[in-house]
Amino acid sequence: MKLGPKAAAAAILVSAGLALTACGGGAAGTGAAAAKTATLTLGAVQELRSWDPAQAHVGHYLQPYQAAYDSLILREPDGKLSPMLATAWKYNETNTKLTVDLRTDVTFSDGAKFDAEAAKANMDHFKKANGPQMAQLTAVSDVAVVDADTIELNLTAPDPSLEFYLSQAAGLMGSPKALGTDAIKTEPVGSGPYVMDKAATVKDSQSVFTARKDYWNKDLQKFEKVTFKILIDLTARTNALVSGQVDATLLDPKTGKQAEGAKMNLVATEVDWQGLLLMDRDGTKNPALGNVKVRQAINYAFDRKTILDQVLMGQGTPTSQPFGKASGAWTEELENYYSYDPAKAKSLLKEAGYETGVVLDIPSVPGWETQLAVIKQQLADVGITVNIGAAITNTFTSDVAAQKFTTMFFSLFQGEPWVATNQIVSTKALYNPFKNTTPELQAKIDAVETGGKDAGKLAQEVNKYVVEQAWFAPMFRVNQMYYHNSKITVEPQVQQAVPSIYNYSPAK
Amino acid sequence: MITFILKRLGSGLVVLFAVSILVFSLLYVSSGSIARNILGDQATPDQLAVKEAELGLDQPIITRYFSWLTGALQGDLGTSWFTSEPVSSALATRIPVTMTMVIAAMVLISIIATLIGVAAAVKRGWVDRVVQIGAIIGDSVPGFVIGIILVTILAIQMGVFPATSTISPGVGADAWVLSLTLPVIALLINGVTGGAQQIRSAVIKQLERDYVRTLRSRGIGEREVLFKHVLRSAAPAGLTVLSLQLIGMLGGVVIIEQIFALPGMGPLAVAATSQSDQPVVMGVVMYTVAVVIVVNLIVDLLNGWLNPKVRAS
Repeated sequence: MKLGPKAAAAAILVSAGLALTACGGGAAGTGAAAAKTATLTLGAVQELRSWDPAQAHVGHYLQPYQAAYDSLILREPDGKLSPMLATAWKYNETNTKLTVDLRTDVTFSDGAKFDAEAAKANMDHFKKANGPQMAQLTAVSDVAVVDADTIELNLTAPDPSLEFYLSQAAGLMGSPKALGTDAIKTEPVGSGPYVMDKAATVKDSQSVFTARKDYWNKDLQKFEKVTFKILIDLTARTNALVSGQVDATLLDPKTGKQAEGAKMNLVATEVDWQGLLLMDRDGTKNPALGNVKVRQAINYAFDRKTILDQVLMGQGTPTSQPFGKASGAWTEELENYYSYDPAKAKSLLKEAGYETGVVLDIPSVPGWETQLAVIKQQLADVGITVNIGAAITNTFTSDVAAQKFTTMFFSLFQGEPWVATNQIVSTKALYNPFKNTTPELQAKIDAVETGGKDAGKLAQEVNKYVVEQAWFAPMFRVNQMYYHNSKITVEPQVQQAVPSIYNYSPAK
Repeated sequence: MITFILKRLGSGLVVLFAVSILVFSLLYVSSGSIARNILGDQATPDQLAVKEAELGLDQPIITRYFSWLTGALQGDLGTSWFTSEPVSSALATRIPVTMTMVIAAMVLISIIATLIGVAAAVKRGWVDRVVQIGAIIGDSVPGFVIGIILVTILAIQMGVFPATSTISPGVGADAWVLSLTLPVIALLINGVTGGAQQIRSAVIKQLERDYVRTLRSRGIGEREVLFKHVLRSAAPAGLTVLSLQLIGMLGGVVIIEQIFALPGMGPLAVAATSQSDQPVVMGVVMYTVAVVIVVNLIVDLLNGWLNPKVRAS
């Protein structure tokens, strides 16, 4: 035997390993980009589920769709709604019919023409495609084609958020030829500023787009090439940004320090609020929570500023109201409605007859153990016992709906007033599982629904009611920390941690 | 021999079947929120019901399991609930990335661990002590920490390697090598130190055996004694350790892939598990169990080939 068996085994393993290592090679040298083109590489926090526009989501998830798809309405960085594929839109007097005028000079990347029929096809598809935002068109009963460039949206009931939705998932327009096909799930076909480079796109790794020639709105098309690099892990995002692999990405207060050390620029926006949801306001399962004074006492027990400084390195703003600053429902007077006052908390508990014996069961939330420990401590100081329960799992939405929790600590998106109302206040809201309401509150909610343009202002009344009645114990609005390098400039987008794709420009 | 292989494959199938039932029932427990997780906070009960029917969630668990099993037996692992991507194609694009890394790491581990282990056993003295101390350090630092240190020094400060993967179609072999170097190093250090330890003690044990003395007394060269006889007898211990390391590595690679943003099995497994994406989780688990079964079988066969004593038993 000339070659020992061990050596032979090693040789086989080595050659197999080398063959495998090389197998992904393919054509070498084709990846070199042309010099001097403006490229944008973004660190995306998640891969998209599908490129079908009906599967589009809000927040972080909207940005990649904006590369491929135009929306009917453009939402400016400050939240103002401007024409895009829709040139004008108008409600009837009862706010139950929205007439939308459309552009006539737009084509999709597969050559199909954008017109009223195409817009209707998209909305019909959106309504039945079971996407994550399908609720956006729940109020729309049908879409009628008036003429080649006009549609009418008929509503079962007024929806003050509808125009906003048309700048979001529900407004994204895909080619009617591609809608509903399997192909559009992996390759978008829209009228947007960029088209996918399918050959360079790898699922769970990167999506690559190139500028579409003859795009109708050159102002919104500022780069030759846009790459979304999927970086789910926070450490990976930080490393990619700091080493120059991506131009911009979303970090957090701690990794942000590292990015600042590497001279990255911060774009901070307040998108979510964190705090307690005191959900059992009728005292069905926890009688103490049925008493407004107990709920108010809980609110007075927190030193919000100190908690924010200690736990989140001061990245945010202490607040007593659940509605966001940009929503129109926000008011200055409610901002510090509940200041830190343990003595007042104790006297309120005494008045309520709950000097002792208030027990709150709060589920744990992975990643927020520190916040929960502080809450437990501060409530203990005024005589309220907190039991931190098992951590929430991915069944938690159905657990919430099933009234499993009477109180929970959570972080929630601060959307448009009607969106927020239906998320946390109305009897339809997931985060109002005990379906608490009063005729007084319902009247205020109804006013928002039918309020049209005044919805924001009318929602201030809803906000005021839930703050005074201490439906929640909000702590702070949290800063989302979006960092970018100096090769580009980035304008923050209201209510979005990750800005819209139009907000990026090459640095001058 | 054939009977042995068939027997092992048979028991492997039983294990696969048992694991599939177990994992399927575990996932069933958390499937209550699936429709809402897909459709979002504001979905109405009607919309939820439609989605549940679409995914077959309104069926009893037995029906659901058997429809999955029938599909799986015909090679159809279903489609992801969240991304609508067929599970088999999701696995097909990710397995090469992960297995390239794992196999490269295993090959390097076998070579380096053998060299170090044999050197420590034969030389003893200071070489042995250095190896021993190195082993303690190597064993006590988790792979992902090594990964982060490597990225900080070699990628961010020195810029020699990319901080996260640049693998994509059209890139050359050089991009693969550059992208995989740091992750493979992070993966293999624990394996090298652990493997070297085992090989060292196995070789020392063999060197003390009578047959070595006999061989030496007959004037057979030290080199031949070591490589032809001692290593062959010490190999089963080393192989067993390597197979355990490979199996352990299938878990460790998940974290390494996250840190280096490699589009392998890791991100797929993490995303699918956290969303309770049952078809994908089932696919990932079945694949992993199959790898473990095959690796164990190969190790047994190799052991038999290297050492006739094992074959007899």
